Parts: sequence; C-alpha cells; structure tokens
Amino acid sequence: MSQAGQKTETASPEQAEIERLQGEVSREHDLYLRTLADFENYRRRVERERESVAKRGKRELLLALLDLADNFERALAHVNDSPESVVAGLHTIQRRLASVLEGQGVTSFESVGQPFDPAVHEAIGVIQDDEQETGTVLDELSRGYYWGDEVLRPARVRVAQ
Amino acid sequence: MAKAIGIDLGTTNSVVAVMEGGKPTVVINSEGNRLTPSVVSFTKTSEWLVGQLAKRQAVLNPERTIYSAKRFIGRRYSEVQSEIKNVPYKVVAGSNDAVRFDIDGKLYAPEEISAQVLRKLAGDAAKYLGEKVTDAVITVPAYFNDAQRQATKDAGKIAGLNVLRIINEPTAAALAYGLDKKGNETILVFDLGGGTFDVSVLDVSEGVFEVKATAGDTHLGGDDFDKRVVDWLAEEFLRNQAIDLRKDRQALQRLTEAAEKAKIELSSVLETTINLPFITADASGPRHLETRLSRAKFDQLTADLVERCTGPVRQALADAKLSERDINEVVLVGGSTRIPAVVTLVRRLMGGKEPNQSVNPDEVVAIGAAIQAGVLTGEVKGVLLLDVTPLSLGVETLGGVMTKLIERNTTVPVRRSETFSTADDNQTAVEVHVLQGEREMARDNRSLGHFRLEGIRPGRRGEPQIEVTFDIDANGILTATARDKDTSKEQKITVSGSTQLSKEEVERMVADAQSHAADDRKRREEVEARNTADTTAYQVERQIQELGASVPVNEKARAEQVIGEIRQLIQGNSTDLARLRQLTGDLQQIAAGLTSGGARSTAAEGERGGTRSSQPGGPDDVIDADFTQR
Repeated sequence: MSQAGQKTETASPEQAEIERLQGEVSREHDLYLRTLADFENYRRRVERERESVAKRGKRELLLALLDLADNFERALAHVNDSPESVVAGLHTIQRRLASVLEGQGVTSFESVGQPFDPAVHEAIGVIQDDEQETGTVLDELSRGYYWGDEVLRPARVRVAQ
Repeated sequence: MAKAIGIDLGTTNSVVAVMEGGKPTVVINSEGNRLTPSVVSFTKTSEWLVGQLAKRQAVLNPERTIYSAKRFIGRRYSEVQSEIKNVPYKVVAGSNDAVRFDIDGKLYAPEEISAQVLRKLAGDAAKYLGEKVTDAVITVPAYFNDAQRQATKDAGKIAGLNVLRIINEPTAAALAYGLDKKGNETILVFDLGGGTFDVSVLDVSEGVFEVKATAGDTHLGGDDFDKRVVDWLAEEFLRNQAIDLRKDRQALQRLTEAAEKAKIELSSVLETTINLPFITADASGPRHLETRLSRAKFDQLTADLVERCTGPVRQALADAKLSERDINEVVLVGGSTRIPAVVTLVRRLMGGKEPNQSVNPDEVVAIGAAIQAGVLTGEVKGVLLLDVTPLSLGVETLGGVMTKLIERNTTVPVRRSETFSTADDNQTAVEVHVLQGEREMARDNRSLGHFRLEGIRPGRRGEPQIEVTFDIDANGILTATARDKDTSKEQKITVSGSTQLSKEEVERMVADAQSHAADDRKRREEVEARNTADTTAYQVERQIQELGASVPVNEKARAEQVIGEIRQLIQGNSTDLARLRQLTGDLQQIAAGLTSGGARSTAAEGERGGTRSSQPGGPDDVIDADFTQR
C-alpha cells in the first residue's frame, strides 16, 4: 500500500465526518424539495379541482331532477283522455322544471335522426329497419342532457340496423 | 422522478391510484369516474373505444366489444370452453392453442385488449397528475399461474408501461391496511366483486407475503344480487298486473337500475322504496310500479347467494390447514362486501372476528398497488412522516375560558399566534396559562405551565396588545411566547412531549369533551355573555365621560341605569343570560345613539364589543379584555 493512501486514511476522521454530514444534508435537502414539490403540485391540483368537486355534488342532484323530468315526459305521453285544464297544468309544471334545469346550465339535446355517438348516446337496443341508414338513432327512450359543455347524461336510444 | 401508479385490472371494472405526499389517491378518469369499465370495442370506423364509451355501444356492436378479457388472459383455448359460452364475441384458437379474439377476421390476443384498458388508465393518471406516467404495479388474482401473470405483464408492456411488479390482489388489499407492518400474521381476504368471488389466505412475516391457499367462485358477484331483486320486482308486477316487464327492453333497463340502487340503499337503511312511474302501458292505460323492499326481504331473496360464499371460505382454510381461530385479520374487498348479510356471514365464519372494511372496498386493491409502487420507487420511504398534535393547545382567558390557538390533529411543525389584551385599567402584567385539551373551560383541561409577562405600560383595559405565539417543532416541543407589541418585552416557556400522550389518554380526553359538550358550551356561553356585557358597560361609561356635557341628560341617566343593572347581574354571578344579553343590546343601542351625534373616535372602540375581531390572524386581531390580572 502506498504511503499517500495511509495518510488520507489517518487524516480523515474530520474529512469523513464532513462527508457524512454533507451526505446527510443533501439527503435531507432532497427530501425537503420533494415534499415541497409534492405540496406545490397538490396545491395546484386542489385549486384546479375545487370547482369540479363542488360540481360533482351538484351533479348528483341534477341527475335526480332529470329522473323527475323523465317521468313528466312519460306522464304527458299518456294524458290524451284527461281534462284539458289538467293537461295544461302538467305542462306548466314541466316547463317550470325545464326552466329550473336551464337556470343551472342544463340543456337537453335531440338524438332522433342523428348518427349514434357513444359520447352522447347509450344504446339500449336495435331496430331492424331497411329504410334508415344503419347506425341512425330511431328512438329515444330517455332524453340526453348537457351541463355546460359536458354530457350530464347520455340519451338512451335505439338504433337502426 | 416520475410517479409510479398502481392498477387494479379487474374483470368488470379497473381502478388506478397513485401516491401523493405519502398518501394513496384514486385517480378520477377523463369521464369523471373512479371506476373504469374493463371494456374495449373496435368500432365500424376502425377506432378503439375503451371504458364507459365502449360499454355504451356494446349492444350495437356485440361481436366487436370485448369485456371480461381477464377471464381469457394467459390461458389455453382448450381451457376456456365454458367461458366462451358466456360471451357474444368470437373466441378462437391461435397458434399453440393460444386464446384469440376474432374481430372482423383479424385476431387479437387478450393481452392486446387489456393493454387498451391499461393505456387509458395510465393516460388518465398522467392527465390527472400533469406529468408523464411510465412505471406501474399491476395486480392479479392470487390463483393466477405464471402464464397468466406473464401475459398481464406483457399487456402492460404493450401499453407502453414499465411494469415494476405484478402483485396479488389480496396482498395489495392487505398492504392498503398496513398489515405488512404488524409482524407475523395470517390474513384472510374475502373478495366479492361484480362478477367473481375469491378467498385467499395469506401469511405475512417481516413484510413478505406468502399465499397459503385460494378458493372461490368465478361466477358469483354483485350482478347476481341485482338479478334477484329484478326477478322479485318483475314477478310481483306479473302477479298484480299480468304484464312481464322482463319482456320489455326499456322496462327491464329501468328495473335493473332501480334494483341496483335499492341494493345499495339497503346497505345503510332498513327499508327502501322502488318507484317507477309509467313503467309500461296496456290497452287500459299506463301502469306504475311502486313497492317497498325491506332489508329482511332482500336478505331472504339473496340468502342462497350469501350462503354460496361459505364453501370457498371453508375450502381455503382447509387447504391452508388452518381453522378460523388461526386467522389474525380479515380484509373485505369488492363492492358486494358492503351488503350487511355478507359482513354478518364473514363475521360468523371467522368466529366473531371484526373484518377490516374502512377502506373503500372497490378501491382497496388499487390503493395497495399504489403503495407498493411507492415503495418500489422509494417514494414511500422518502416521505417524512409528519406527526399531529393529538389534543388542542391554548391559553386561559377571562372568566376561565380555554381559548384554542392550535386545534387538535394539526400537522406539526406549526406556528400560530393571536393577539390578546388586558382585562383591567392600568394592568401591568399578564399571566399566561398554557393548556392542553378539548374542554371549553380552562380548569377541565390539562395544565402545561404558567408564566408571567410583566412591564406592560399602564393603559386602559383592551389597549395593550399582547401577542401570544405557540410554536410546535417537528419533535413535538412546544414553545409558548408572549410579547408586548408596545415595549417588545417577551417571556416564554418550553414544554416538551406535548404530542407524546398515550393513545388511551388522548381517547379519554376526547371522549370526556364529547360527553360534557353541552354543559361546557353552556358555561362558556355564560362567561362570554358576562364578558361582553362587562366590556360594553365599560366602554359606554368611558364614552359618556369623554363626551362630557354634550350627552343629553336623559340619555346619560338611561345608560347609567342599564350599566348599573348589568354590573349587579355580573357581581351576583347571574345565570339569567337572556336578561344580560338584552341589557347589553339596549346599552349598545344607547351607545350608537350617542356616537351618531358625537365623536367618531370612540365608535370603533364600541364596535369591538369585547369579542373576537372579524379578521383572525390579521395584524390588528385584538381580543379585548381577555387576560385577567392575578
């Protein structure tokens, strides 16, 4: 073994301690930076999501209202025999419900006659129809709704085949 | 370093989770859901749809929509004959008896289909995190053989992922509960999902898991429970209305949804109503379905399904050569384990042992996978485990009330300060009494120490500003400092081990606070009402003095009369709070009348009214007349 090698080893307790401490500092600093970065990212996302979290809660309520809207449509499809004044009253309530939904940015969209699109339609069944082009929505079982630009609920449809 | 994700690649649904700041979080997919259907479809326009969108068009495109690919992955064609009968798409034999899906004459391996699901999950995670995701841990059932594991790993590779490890679903579930850290244990994992039931017995020793036995039923799950409710509803309707709703596609759809909703509701309530107006119509007009379903009836309808779970549990124990007494922990996985009858069954089979079910059973496997991913990338180890203060810390203020500076369960290190003032004119010293606990009154809490700050410049009560700061460092050492803002005189006390209370002690103190909550609140209200009344009386008295002769005599007489009555009530320690509050209100009104005609300078004083300022933490956040002189 060379003398120089010996020397470094004997002269090293302080040096070793410095290196150990430097290592520790850089590990701790890394940990600190990581935690800081994690927190920054977290903070940014929480900010981004704050709105969408509130929206999610509201979404549940709106979906429950859509169930009511569906039942109105079902009811009004059967009112032929009822007195006209009752029918008019039901229509008024239905329009009121529609305006409440509209006030929240909920709008319905037409599906019948459109080509099937899984982004806005949910296929419940097919209808054999040679007159219509395959993939055209023939029948709407429940209406589809947008909420702003997003699909609140896809339309339930039957499609030509 | 890039984040690694954990993926629960399920038969029906998949979930992806990631570690963030040392805690696992489930990723919300691009459709806004936590679960992604494991469904892939190849459309007529030659594009792949994955997840919810693929599911929505399944009935239009049954031959090109692949679901349950997991039932085929890594298996021989000759092994899966019974599975093929259950699916509408074409399954054929490839070279070496491999399973292939035939879509329009083109052959796809199950790995390629699963890869589509994995790619979407990783993509959604990347979008959620705002960074690229390449590393993943993927889970598989404990009974998967080497070929099935390798195929799952290959699916990850096809999806462009670096698969750090394939781990067993029950192991992931146990990791999510931290059971790897509890020493040597035997764990039973009971996994009742949407369409499959698995029981696994695991041994964990020094953080290493070993599967001792597995058993299950590949076709038992939540969907079967829904179907029982649908059939019951349809039979009832058929009996009463002579119409079979199952023959009407739309009615069946509504029935199925209502059945699932009822099942979910019955996990938390004892009875639910199923309400489907205009479910169908005949020549005589529209028909409605409205019926009640009790949990007892639901349990009766599904009793045999629940009972079918018994066999596999017994089988797994027998194979592991264990009895239920040898099981240390039971973990519930899968949405159907929310059904109370299922939990009851598990408890019965395990000799009354309470199962672990606090983590969402739909997400527990993905969460465990994310934890494993975090361990493998060093993230879990690298995270500082931060302590919390187990109990609130505060100071005693006027009337023996505990005013909290740091609420319980605040993560440390933390520093909070608040400004207080004196309770008497010319008070030159304040006594700071440091307290720990949840009770409203100082004397019911634990005293951590006292100190005295002296040398406050004599002034009117409420004028000196004493800033009290509580600082807890990462080791739980509390330093309480009081500083006079005017003279900068400072006094402090250090209390070590404020976070090191035994669990029992903390629990007892919290429970105490809860059981005394009503009494404590009442006493605190009494003190606060008295303090407010006293401060108001003091301020109005001063106001009158300052305004001097400009105060109309009758107003002055009225104010003095009210002040006199307030002082009498306070001295007599009256508990007639209504009277005290009314007098305080009267006095405030009189004072407002005085100010509107007089000096503005005293108005601000009057509004402070002896309670907390509306801007906590602000530079002028003064709590008037809070310290008592001792």
